[in-house]
Amino acid sequence: MKKKVLALGMAALMAASAMPTMSVAAEEPITISFWNSFTGADGDMLVELVDKFNEENEDGITVDMDISADFNSQLSTAFAAETGPTMILSSSAYRFTYGDYLQDVSDVFDKTTLDKSDFIQSYLDYCSDGDKTFFVPFQVVGYYMYWNKDLFEAAGLDPETPPTTWEEWESMAEQLKDESKNVYGSGISYDYAYQIAHIMQRFGGLAVTKDGDAWKANFADNEGYTEFLNMYKTLIDDQANPVEADTDSMMSAGQVGMTVGGPWVTAGLDTAGVNYGIGLIPQGAAGDMNSVEVLGFAVTTTASEEEKAAAYKFIEWWNTADEEGSSPALEWSLANGFPAYTYSVQENEEYQASPKLSAMSAANPDAPTDFIVDSNFAGINSIISDVIPEMINSVAFDSASVEEALNTAQEKADEIVAEYN
Amino acid sequence: MKRIMKYWNQPSTSPYVFVAPSIILLLMFSVIPLLTAFGLSLFDVPITMNKADFVGLENFTDAFKDRRFINSLKITAIFTLLEVPIQVIGALIVGALVSKNNARNNFFRAIYFLPVVCSATAIGIMWRMILHSNIGFVTACLQTMGLGRINFMNTPGLTIFVVSFISVWRSFGISAVIYVTAIQQVPSSLYEAAQMDGAGPIRQFCSITFPSVRPTFWYILMTRFAGALQIFDIIYITTNGGPNYTTESTVTYIYSRAFSSSSSMGYASAMSVILFGVIMVITIMMYRRMNKEDA
Repeated sequence: MKKKVLALGMAALMAASAMPTMSVAAEEPITISFWNSFTGADGDMLVELVDKFNEENEDGITVDMDISADFNSQLSTAFAAETGPTMILSSSAYRFTYGDYLQDVSDVFDKTTLDKSDFIQSYLDYCSDGDKTFFVPFQVVGYYMYWNKDLFEAAGLDPETPPTTWEEWESMAEQLKDESKNVYGSGISYDYAYQIAHIMQRFGGLAVTKDGDAWKANFADNEGYTEFLNMYKTLIDDQANPVEADTDSMMSAGQVGMTVGGPWVTAGLDTAGVNYGIGLIPQGAAGDMNSVEVLGFAVTTTASEEEKAAAYKFIEWWNTADEEGSSPALEWSLANGFPAYTYSVQENEEYQASPKLSAMSAANPDAPTDFIVDSNFAGINSIISDVIPEMINSVAFDSASVEEALNTAQEKADEIVAEYN
Repeated sequence: MKRIMKYWNQPSTSPYVFVAPSIILLLMFSVIPLLTAFGLSLFDVPITMNKADFVGLENFTDAFKDRRFINSLKITAIFTLLEVPIQVIGALIVGALVSKNNARNNFFRAIYFLPVVCSATAIGIMWRMILHSNIGFVTACLQTMGLGRINFMNTPGLTIFVVSFISVWRSFGISAVIYVTAIQQVPSSLYEAAQMDGAGPIRQFCSITFPSVRPTFWYILMTRFAGALQIFDIIYITTNGGPNYTTESTVTYIYSRAFSSSSSMGYASAMSVILFGVIMVITIMMYRRMNKEDA
């Protein structure tokens, strides 16, 4: 009996001594590097949330974050030297530039508790190329219409009825302008290619589309683009729209009646105490659109399997609600005013109670999310940086007619498209 | 080890030890990147530099066919011709006015030098807001005086002058301080003798001050020329090359080609090599002229 007791005791002791070893093996500390370019106030919040993860997670994971204003050159230099971070946070368009250095993360839904059906499919599509998913959505950047309710009232317009078409925009801009107070009705900047792109695609659809197996540029003879440029020129000539690069500051100063911009515009308006409304960008002839840019988490090819698993844990934590129903993703949306990319966050009571977020989430989720070009066209940056600015500048400053501007844009776009055909 | 130490401790070899740190830094941060840029200019290289297709001189021929590059060279030339003379001559005059050591001049020297220690980003944002066409301080002042509004930052033909002014304002303090140091080295006996001969302040400046600080004048002229031809930060922050590319300098365009848009490192390097050639030719011409004067 004594022997049996002794044997049982020994077995228990061995089992007990083995347990911590197993636990250590499961929680072996690991540090993953995480690079992004969130240098603004939202970057402070990101730091806080990453610190929170580092403190809370029980898997021994430390996320070592590096925020850089020169993220793109930092990344390109690192990749060129065959180094780089475990995880990045960037526009999903980075897959066109750095696709060779990003891992397929489509298995994140198999290896974590994240539910793929909770993610809005069109945003996931934006982060994917064929069967591969390069990014897990983090932030949806859409552009919205903002209007100054006080200026609407002063101009005799209903402050709760913003324009829903571009004809209404044009006529309201004329009514809103007040030369004696330097007030302009419309705030479209000649130097803001993203703003211009969001507007012009409402008029004339996408600038680059698939034509059979080849890409095709659609600038020349595009009736919608012609209409947009003519409207823009008329607004400038009538002094209903300023010839100004920085229209956001004017909107915050209460000097512009209506503008189009990203969610960050609200920060300036709130700080300045402007009485404003948010709505969807008026529709044009091209029909219903939900053009967005999706930012997401990506895992680079420099990450080992263990590091990739740790990155997945962080992404899982970011999108998982606690007992009170709150998650970092929800906190991020509420604090920074970015619409949610999951149904569960969109359905959250606190989210729905925010008039800003409700307005931003009002877009038809089934509407195409492509931004200015087909979402699989890799030359998007060239179209935005090289074609659109020259086109809008030449019209704004009278160095070309609308037709000439579109023909020049077509020539440049054809050159870019040829590189990808 | 002992033999190595013995070798380096010899009088004939030890100077190399002393210059080695400078030479290594020069090689690492100047010579090797320069040679790499020359090499890259012959290839088609993406931003990740993971592949390189040899294209020979194609990047150079493309550059001379590129309207934006030609325009950027023109803008850089205009900027240089506006900025450098004002900077070099203005700083000389100001330097002469504040060269004597007294409390008032010390105060003014500090004021002139203040923008030099400020970041270009802060200066750019400040001027952009001051000169804003709608909500700017200057705009408000002009309107109060009944002079209407001037769209300083968004008028092709005018904005390049504004950018040049901001650049001069930002950096002429350093030139002025260098001149002050040079002027203070001029023997006071020369001024005393000139005064006894009845020479006034202007005659003293033309006949004593300026000839005495001529080497400093050439130094500032050459460094400002090279600096102006490489102007980037102020333009990038204030106008980003606008309106309608009328302030887009060569380096701003090179940067956009390398990092912002279609990211062609080879093409950007080719344009850098062309700019390097231009700066080198101008610098050599000035250097020869300076040596000729000294002789």
